[in-house]
Amino acid sequence: METEKKFEPRIVAMLCNWCSYAGADLAGVSRLQYPPNIRVIRVMCSGTVSPHHIVHAFQRGADGVLIAGCHIGDCHYIRGNYMTIKRAKFMEGLLNFAGYSPERLRLEWISAAEGVKFAEVVREFTEKIRTLGPAPSFEASPRLATAVL
Amino acid sequence: MKTKIKKLLEEGRVDGFFAYKTIHGFFFPYLFTKENMDELEDWKPSSARYPIAKLLLAQARKNPEKTYGVLVRGCEERAVHELYKWNQLDREKVVMVGQACTADLAADCECWKPFPTDVAYGEAVEPVAKSARVEMLEKMAGEDRLKWWLGHFNRCVKCFGCRDVCPVCFCTECSLEHNKLVETDKLPPDSSFHLVRAIHMGGRCIDCGLCEEVCPANIPLRVLYKEVGKLVEEVYGYKPGSDDGKSPFTFLGDELMLPPGPR
Ligand code: SF4
Ligand code: SF4
Ligand code: FES
Repeated sequence: METEKKFEPRIVAMLCNWCSYAGADLAGVSRLQYPPNIRVIRVMCSGTVSPHHIVHAFQRGADGVLIAGCHIGDCHYIRGNYMTIKRAKFMEGLLNFAGYSPERLRLEWISAAEGVKFAEVVREFTEKIRTLGPAPSFEASPRLATAVL
Repeated sequence: MKTKIKKLLEEGRVDGFFAYKTIHGFFFPYLFTKENMDELEDWKPSSARYPIAKLLLAQARKNPEKTYGVLVRGCEERAVHELYKWNQLDREKVVMVGQACTADLAADCECWKPFPTDVAYGEAVEPVAKSARVEMLEKMAGEDRLKWWLGHFNRCVKCFGCRDVCPVCFCTECSLEHNKLVETDKLPPDSSFHLVRAIHMGGRCIDCGLCEEVCPANIPLRVLYKEVGKLVEEVYGYKPGSDDGKSPFTFLGDELMLPPGPR
C-alpha cells in the first residue's frame, strides 16, 4: 500500500462573474478535461479581489492563487481590471520581497468564449505549482529566530 | 524658534504650534500656545524624532476649527501632505515651518528627501538615492529572504506600536484587528500581519521610519515599507508625500488607466 501522500497542489481561483467564470462554465459544458486542483470563488469583477484575499488564501494554505478576469477593455465595470493588473504587479513584488515565490500568483484574462483557454491555464498553472512544490508556511516559528540587528 | 514661531502665535496666524521642548536634556514634542510661548527655545539641530504629524492629527480632529503650526522635517512634511490627500487634515488649517535634517540622520534613514520644501532651520543635505538594506535583501535568494524575514517576524509581540506611531495610519477600524486575517490569540502573528500592514502602506508610507524606531522587537520594518514605496513608484508612478494634491489611491479617474492592450 502506498503510504506517502503525493503532493497535490491546492489552487484558489478567483474568477470574475462576467467572463472567466462563464469561460470555466463553457469548459465544463464542453467536457474539456482539466486538473481538479482548483477551488473556484466567483467574484463580481477581478477588480474586487483585494490583496487581503490573496494574502488570506496563502495564509490558509493555498499553494497558488489564480485571478482571472475579462480581457482589457472588456471589464463590465470598465476599469476594474486596470486596477487588477496594478494590484497583481504590486502583490507579486511584495510577495517576492517577503521571500514568497511570485510565481504562485497568476493573473489571466479569460473571456466567456475561451473555455479552451481556461482549461489550458488551469492545466499549465497546476503543473507549475506542482514543480514549485507546497507553498512555504506563513508561520513565524520561534525556532527560526535570528539575531537582533 | 523664539522669533519665528512666537510671531505666528502673537499675530494669531496659528492657535497652537507643535515643536519640541528640551526636558532634562531630551527633546519632547510640545504644543505651544499664546499662554506658554515664552518657553520657546532656540532651534538646535538634533536627531530626535517623534510622531509630530500624528499628534497634530489628533489635535486637529479634536479641534477642527483651530489652525495649527508645526515644525516639520522632510518626512513629517510628506506625512502632512499625504494626510491632506486622504482628507484627514485641512490644508487651510495647517502652517508648516521646516527644519532640515543633519547628514548623519539622512544617512541613517537612507532618506530620499531629508529636508522639507521650505527650510527655515538648518542646511539641506544631499538625499540618499538608494537603500543599501533593500539592495542587500534583493540580492538574496528567495528562500533565504523568507528565512530572514521569518527570523525577524517571529519576535513580533503584536504591540501594534508600528501602527500606532505611523503618521499615515489614521483609520478608526484596522485590518490588523480583523480576526480572520490576523488571528487574535496567536503570538507571534504569522506573515499575514506584516503583509497586511505592508499592503496598507502602499501609496501611503512616506518613509519616516518611526515604525522601526518604536518596534520593541527591533524588526527591520522600514526595509519592508521602503520596498513597498519602490513598488508603488514602479507600478503606480506615485511617490507618497508629494505636494500635488492627488494620489492614485484616493482618486478615481484617468490616472487609474493603463494603456490598453495585452499584458
Ligand atoms: S511594533 Fe514591532 S513588535 Fe510591535 S506589532 Fe509592530 S512589528 Fe510587532
Ligand atoms: S516609515 Fe513606518 S511609520 Fe513611517 S509612514 Fe512608513 S509605515 Fe508609517
Ligand atoms: S467584470 Fe470581469 S474583470 Fe471586471
